[in-house]
Amino acid sequence: MARAKAEQQQPATGMTLIVLVGLAVAFLLFMAFLNVVKSGNLLNETNLLFATLIFYAGAAALYLGFGVTGTESYVKVASLSTWLGLIASTAAVAHRWYEAGHPPFASVYEMLLSFVWTLALLTLIAEKRYGVKVIGTVTMPVAIVGVVLMQLLRTDVHPLVPALQSTWLHVHVTLAMLAYAACALSFALAMMFLIQDNMKTETFLAASSASTLAIYASVVLTRFEKWGGLSLVAWNPEQKSEVFLSKGVRLFVTIPDLGWLMVLALLVVASPLVFYGLARWRNNDSFLTAANRAVFLSILLQVMTLVMFLVRANDGRYPSLDADGLFPTSLAASPFILSGLVGGVFISLLYLLLLWRRPDLGRLLPSADNLDRITYKTIGLAFPLLTLMIAAGAYWANQTWGSYWSWDPKETWAAITWLVYALYLHMRITRGWRGRRAAYFAIAGFAVVMFTFFGVTYLLPGLHAYA
Amino acid sequence: MAVDLRALAHKTWRTVASIQTGVVLLILVVILSAAGTIVLQRPVTEPDEMQSAYSPQALRILDTVGLTDVFHSWWFLGLVLLVSVCIVAASVDRFPNSWRYFSRPYKYPDESFRRALRPQKSLAIADEESGLVAAQRALHSLGYKPERVVREDHFSIFAERSRISELAVYIVHASLLLIFLGTVVDGIWGWRGTLNLNEGQTSNLVELRDGTTRTLPFAIRCDAAGQENYKDGTPKKWWSKLAVVKDGRDVEKKEIVVNDPLLYRGVRFYQSSYGPNGKVEKLMLVAVPSNGSGEKREIGLAVNDTVPLDANTTVHFAEFFPDYAVREGQVYRKSNQLQNPAVHLVVTSKIAGQKIAGQKIASQKTAGKDFDVWFPPMDEVADNSKAPYQLEATDLKMGHFTGLQVSHEPGQWGVWSGVVLMGVGLTFVFYVVHMRFWAVPVRNPGTGKYSLWIGGSANRNRDAFEQRFNDLAALVEEELKTIPITSPSEQVTSVVEN
Repeated sequence: MARAKAEQQQPATGMTLIVLVGLAVAFLLFMAFLNVVKSGNLLNETNLLFATLIFYAGAAALYLGFGVTGTESYVKVASLSTWLGLIASTAAVAHRWYEAGHPPFASVYEMLLSFVWTLALLTLIAEKRYGVKVIGTVTMPVAIVGVVLMQLLRTDVHPLVPALQSTWLHVHVTLAMLAYAACALSFALAMMFLIQDNMKTETFLAASSASTLAIYASVVLTRFEKWGGLSLVAWNPEQKSEVFLSKGVRLFVTIPDLGWLMVLALLVVASPLVFYGLARWRNNDSFLTAANRAVFLSILLQVMTLVMFLVRANDGRYPSLDADGLFPTSLAASPFILSGLVGGVFISLLYLLLLWRRPDLGRLLPSADNLDRITYKTIGLAFPLLTLMIAAGAYWANQTWGSYWSWDPKETWAAITWLVYALYLHMRITRGWRGRRAAYFAIAGFAVVMFTFFGVTYLLPGLHAYA
Repeated sequence: MAVDLRALAHKTWRTVASIQTGVVLLILVVILSAAGTIVLQRPVTEPDEMQSAYSPQALRILDTVGLTDVFHSWWFLGLVLLVSVCIVAASVDRFPNSWRYFSRPYKYPDESFRRALRPQKSLAIADEESGLVAAQRALHSLGYKPERVVREDHFSIFAERSRISELAVYIVHASLLLIFLGTVVDGIWGWRGTLNLNEGQTSNLVELRDGTTRTLPFAIRCDAAGQENYKDGTPKKWWSKLAVVKDGRDVEKKEIVVNDPLLYRGVRFYQSSYGPNGKVEKLMLVAVPSNGSGEKREIGLAVNDTVPLDANTTVHFAEFFPDYAVREGQVYRKSNQLQNPAVHLVVTSKIAGQKIAGQKIASQKTAGKDFDVWFPPMDEVADNSKAPYQLEATDLKMGHFTGLQVSHEPGQWGVWSGVVLMGVGLTFVFYVVHMRFWAVPVRNPGTGKYSLWIGGSANRNRDAFEQRFNDLAALVEEELKTIPITSPSEQVTSVVEN
């Protein structure tokens, strides 16, 4: 009865969201059009990327709407929007390629461009070929993050330095993009599995809250300074290194007020866990509802903290308690805090994704068994690609530097990624790991992939400095 | 005691060959490699940087434990060796079973197997032979090579594809070991170093990473080297024309660029850097006789070169200062950096009569007379205008060196063949399915009627296989309709035709 009622209501709400998203897309396109008229150049890369962003955002909103309400008509419009976004990003890739005279693989910006393109393509394939309609709820937001990052990392076309002029570069990077996109897909599928699987959300709530709490607690305990400041390592932008007072003693600067924000975030992040504890203790499920609300609040505050941290820690000058004067700091000086904050938001969002699980979602997704199998198949695709990617990279390095393996951080982390997926395959094939454990493994594998892709480039030094 | 030993050996073997041990070891490798990317590593870090990044105590501890050079530490090597031993043990432990499976295919399914197998299907048939023929034809049309299995009193059909897939995982493991082996060979017999050559220079001495020098059994000569730039000034290409010289002969020549090394007798020469070597390659001069007669001449000089200007006059390139200073009429070398270069030329005239008025040189007995010429002109040192020729320096071409990386990696063939083998192995592991089909005519003891039992099995990707199996069953059913009930002998010939 309730379901029939819900189904009656859905077309109305469905239309509302489509119309809203359509209006938003039209409005943004109109704004972009005005911009085009002003600059007099329609097909430049910025415009194409902007169009890509708009369509992906529209698609993501509709996919998310589908995830929440389960209205089928959203998916059609969402995949249409993804198609349009894919066309726009294809044009952007082609434009970049034409302008640079080489495939867009030479910098992080160009690689992101290729990555986003591959991801959208794989999303459409997964949706049309395998019927995994909700996949866009995970992949499209990732693609949006990619496009936004591109805007921040925007680089001019640089000619290729001699070391990069090799066919093997293109083989290596193409394989890397394919492999990483396949890993992203397996991650999305594993998430779908967790939604579809009859897992208790409370367990995940407790685990995710505990880990975010641990992150904020360690930041506050080690970095909270008097008067509510947050102390960070000073950074020397010329030498690209930390500033040292004496041997092994780093100079810390204090960013005022950020410490209070961290404490506030710590309290809010702790609240879901408190409610969860109360629910278990009193055996009262109404506390769980409160806990879920608290998760929403904690995500908001975490995002705010992250943004404040990004804004203030990125290349500002701050006083220090140990020395007179103002000293610069940079995000690069605080890699662990940064990854902690990003990780916290990520974990909480995963929980949010789980909360969507509703009875009617079951018929929209392939069965848990199927999802589990497709996840495995995707990793079965990603793993050989990873292998070949590493091999092509080694061959190229051998041609260029005279050594196929030099343990530089990117290489090492690529090997770690490979090992993690190798472990997954062994656990699955010989130990019969299926379902939830395999899904966790796939998620962890993708986290390692992300670290290899972004973390190593920005946090660890090495030969891949240009990539 | 002996029994205890055997039990102990058995237990050790079980532990080493177990998947748990492998997993634990791999996790250790992951953690330690990650540590090696976070802690600064000695081989790629300047000592100053190491010392400023860690306090002396911390550095001492890190050094003792080996965390400052994880990838060359004995325990990391030991761990990788242990992983190899584990892989070997696990493979040896499981291989006999797989091999039995591979070498003795299970062709006739017995009753209990027939009962348990999924997917399976039973089709009604008129007699044994028509069922067998139908199954054979159906499998034939799907591209299999069905085999008629004869057991005491009954026949059956067996067909399979890609049996090698059962051994694929061993191919992958073997390839990994091959790669390890290659790296170990390189670690023991391989070496790396650098060789810097000026244009025209020949050398056979490679400076190795540990500071020692290695003498090659042949020499390398650099005939030319250069750099090409993009319009914005960033380097586009570095190249060197190299020749391999052995016993005084050029045995090989190649122009190398950054991604294209020269390979000779297992030693590779890579273009790695390029730059000025601080030496003059050629000084370009324009010479005009001071007395106004005669023509302008253009000449090029290297250091210590002497070039005739006319029958009686020569110019000699005496000295070059990359960075000069003048004090009390003397020119000094301030540094070896090419910052403020000066050139000292000597013009020698054999004819005394050509002496220019005001020349202070006293002894005129010999015909030879030297005139100093400096670039840039330095009045307190010498007067350029006194020379019988007025010289003008138009260009100073500096010499360049090419920096070559030299490496000898005898094990890399193991690595590359391992990589190829792994690609093949992984393809088999993930994409090649060992599929088997059986067809057995069964007589129902109660009714006396025949039915054809068809079963199939695949070692992976079972859902897709089920579809294949259903297609096959449908095909067999089709074939059954077309087979007229005839005598067995005719049917045998029709089988042969197929």
